[in-house]
Amino acid sequence: MTLDAWFIIGTIVGLASTVICVVAAVLKKKPNDVTLLGLAAVELFIVVYAIGSLVRVLGGQNMVGEAWEFWGYMFTAAMLPVAGFYWAMMERTHWSNYVMGAVGVTVVVMLARMAQIWYGTTMAAQALQPLYLHLMQQGIG
Amino acid sequence: MSTPDTTAQEAPHGRTTGAGRLLITVYGIFAISATARAGYQIATHFADAPLAYLLSAFAAVVYIVATISLAKPGRGWAKLAVVAICIELVGVLVIGALSVFDSAAFPHDTVWSTFGRGYGFVPLLLPIIGLIWLYRHREVK
Repeated sequence: MTLDAWFIIGTIVGLASTVICVVAAVLKKKPNDVTLLGLAAVELFIVVYAIGSLVRVLGGQNMVGEAWEFWGYMFTAAMLPVAGFYWAMMERTHWSNYVMGAVGVTVVVMLARMAQIWYGTTMAAQALQPLYLHLMQQGIG
Repeated sequence: MSTPDTTAQEAPHGRTTGAGRLLITVYGIFAISATARAGYQIATHFADAPLAYLLSAFAAVVYIVATISLAKPGRGWAKLAVVAICIELVGVLVIGALSVFDSAAFPHDTVWSTFGRGYGFVPLLLPIIGLIWLYRHREVK
């Protein structure tokens, strides 16, 4: 798996969002501007990533893996902050921040898988291996 | 859904509120990822390992049922949640053990392989936390 700028920036944004939300939750704070902006940053990143990927595909770059799988991940990742926001806001307690915190880290895991689909895995058999192991092997997580 | 304007400062203590919403969130994430994974496996290379991929699909259904029944208030849903999560616990223990001791029979990964190591052992912890949660929020009488 190649580590490109998309993945690195996405990981920073996603993990930062999770850390901010979890810290706020530990402090028993209800969702506020800071945690909501953190979640919004994750959504913004995915939108930019989607546009960037579309430009790259239209520009003639081909991803190694299946396009429908890549865009399936993209769509699901884009839905997560929205779903997390609604689920958190339906009952606004400090637990809402934990719920929102779950979004960022999940998106990071999905970004890692999307990078694998884009650049291809080094071994075909690795495609069946769970993602977490990849992260451990690559020393990222 | 609008935010209820409660005067209480503390998080509510029901089964489907407070920390329960975080539990439902994590179950929801596993329901989505297990469904997507099973769907992908069955759609692309079902013939390679029909048993493992049917097992993946079964796990996905268990997570979906658990997520919905955890989120719905009422005793009937609570009972269904207990049943679904017990099946999940048995599934992760049996499949986990089989994949360790008889890895030749389970060369293809499911969510529950090696006790969910590919997912940071969350599949092993989740049913235990889920059952503790349901026990502590059981409806007496």
